[in-house]
Amino acid sequence: MRAGAAIAAVKRRSASRASTLYLFALPATLLFVVFIAYPILWVAGQSLYSGTTDGRAIFAGFANYKTILGDPTFWIVVRNMVLWGVITIPVQMLIGGLLAYFIERHTHALRGFFRTMFFLPVVTSVSVISLVWVQIYAPYYGIAQEYLKHVGIIMTTSPIGDPKTAIYALIIVNIWQWTGFSMLMYIAGMANLPSEVLDAARIDGARGWRLAVHVIVPMLSPATKSLLLLGVIGTLQTFPIVHLMTGGGPNRASEVFGTFIFKQSFVLGDTASGAALSVIVLVTALVLSLVQIALLGARLSPAGKEQP
Amino acid sequence: MRKMLFLATTILAAALYSASANAEQKEVTVWSWFVQSTMEKSIAAFEKAHPDIKVKYTYYNYSPEYITALKAAAASGSLPDVIGLQPGSLTQQYRENLEAVNERAAKEWGDKWAEKVFPVNRKQMLMGNPKGDENYYIIPQESQVLCIWYNRKIFEKLNLSVPKTYADLKAAAKALTDNGYIPMFQGAADGWQNENVFLMLANQFSAGIVDKAQAGETPWTAPELVAAMKAWKGLFDDGIFQQGALGAHAYPTGAQLFAQGKVGMMALGSWWMQESKFPPPLSEFVQNMDGFDFFYLPPVKDGNSASPPVGGIDIGYGLTKNGGKNPEAWTFLAELTNGVGLQEALNDLNDLPAFEGNSPKGDITDHVKEMSARFMADLPKAENQRFASPAVAEALDNALAGVAAGSTEPEAALAAVQAASEKALAAK
Repeated sequence: MRAGAAIAAVKRRSASRASTLYLFALPATLLFVVFIAYPILWVAGQSLYSGTTDGRAIFAGFANYKTILGDPTFWIVVRNMVLWGVITIPVQMLIGGLLAYFIERHTHALRGFFRTMFFLPVVTSVSVISLVWVQIYAPYYGIAQEYLKHVGIIMTTSPIGDPKTAIYALIIVNIWQWTGFSMLMYIAGMANLPSEVLDAARIDGARGWRLAVHVIVPMLSPATKSLLLLGVIGTLQTFPIVHLMTGGGPNRASEVFGTFIFKQSFVLGDTASGAALSVIVLVTALVLSLVQIALLGARLSPAGKEQP
Repeated sequence: MRKMLFLATTILAAALYSASANAEQKEVTVWSWFVQSTMEKSIAAFEKAHPDIKVKYTYYNYSPEYITALKAAAASGSLPDVIGLQPGSLTQQYRENLEAVNERAAKEWGDKWAEKVFPVNRKQMLMGNPKGDENYYIIPQESQVLCIWYNRKIFEKLNLSVPKTYADLKAAAKALTDNGYIPMFQGAADGWQNENVFLMLANQFSAGIVDKAQAGETPWTAPELVAAMKAWKGLFDDGIFQQGALGAHAYPTGAQLFAQGKVGMMALGSWWMQESKFPPPLSEFVQNMDGFDFFYLPPVKDGNSASPPVGGIDIGYGLTKNGGKNPEAWTFLAELTNGVGLQEALNDLNDLPAFEGNSPKGDITDHVKEMSARFMADLPKAENQRFASPAVAEALDNALAGVAAGSTEPEAALAAVQAASEKALAAK
């Protein structure tokens, strides 16, 4: 009898504890539902309708998706996004990792200065960055031209004004802006490396390049995985730098998902195809994230635990 | 107790006074991308004339901030009372959220009020309306005329005169380049500046042809438009525009270089005069517009005439459905477009008026007055600058960029514009 009462009391306590926990989760859940889940569902719903000239919306099924997939611009965007991800993510990781290694291992008094300098572009306004880089790229009177003329190079076109080079010119700006972030992630990763492992490796004769490649790089894999995941999501979210520097031109050569959605929805007023494009981006981001988690595991920070 | 009673009475009296003050002063909300400093002067003049009305103005950059804010507000039914508009596509996107202003305007300015609006503006006010809809959803505030501005001090220094032929224009561009100046700055990364130059060219080959193509009366692949597209490419190939123009922006880069005296010519419009009213320090060229004058693009082919004036509404305003419920909103809109508010904008040389009978007053030099008078004389005969369909404008922007870059032939580029035009006309 006494044991039964005790069990009942424990059950009551755990039920009360569970409801308290649900209560704690409620604000976050509400915020998620109002600001994330509902807008996603609303946009997904909009993508199945098309507008008429008198402002009515008629059900169109998957017609908007069909139109988007048949639009040659969509495939230019896909090509640009692949190039963006394939180039920016590894290059940023590589340069960011090297910077972190040299700053952490070979600078002492000026460590803070170098960290700040390389991180500065990350916190600089995109408007400022785009203005400066448009001037750097300008032939004839541009900043790069001022230096290049000393070695006999005359720029005849702007890299962002040529359909063949525009996307690469923008990728360079993006790498310049975000490498500092990769550097910071690797610095944080290095700070968490267990010193006993490094000491043991040194005792075993690992030095310099060998220590870096065979000990430090593998131990920094959580930071690398985080950068990979953030890089893919960041690629799909690209908008301001392209909008401000080329507007997706010339002749749509540097169009990315962000500028394409913006044009369809706000410039052309075709919110239905803008919504369809947004859903495509969302699904792509979701699939890519799940694939990465499945392939690389979910341990994305040095403190994180490997998922079984 | 007496103290408590006194305190309570005081608080109650203050609350009542505040409530009555708020009730007396009515508010009008306005959103636009219009220059904030000039709008503040217009609002101050309005509030002086109507002390019982308070205007709350929210300034946005045009793109992306303004157009995204409008879209979100329209979707949630929270548009302000008055919104800044461009004729054609922007007005049409919000037509369902706007009040037709015909009756209010007739009551304010008389039955024949529309005749006081310059013809090109009147045409643009109806642009894109469904067939049979003669309502006005936009009241224009300011007009503009497109032209080629040139730095007359640099021209004088290099012994150059205003180009009368294409050969003159090429020679002037060469002389400017040889002397270290940018010949004609084109911000060809901006679709709007490319459209403006193309309109100058197209109307030179056949006045009004772009309007006919928009209406489906002439194909975009017509020989005159193909010739205009080839002439457009020629401006890049012949060194009229600066090298690398396709990657350049008219604002702020081009405008700053032009104001600093590093550029010989630039295709802009009557709004350039306002540079002289910006806060100091101003360059010797911009001061009182001493360094600048304008001309129209000379004939690019034997047998052509110089480009006719092209222009129309610079900015207009619409009364939203929310504003329709607020009587003070129309009062403000009327004063802003053809009253004390407009006068302040004109005095600031923001641009030309949209209604006849208005002119800038105050501290303006004879040189500026003379240029303003020339623009005003040309405005009544201006060709239309605006596009009814954003999809057609977008297709033309892409065509112009593709041809300029050499990645598309003029005929193929215009065929793409024709396809976009047919689609837009079919949807209407």
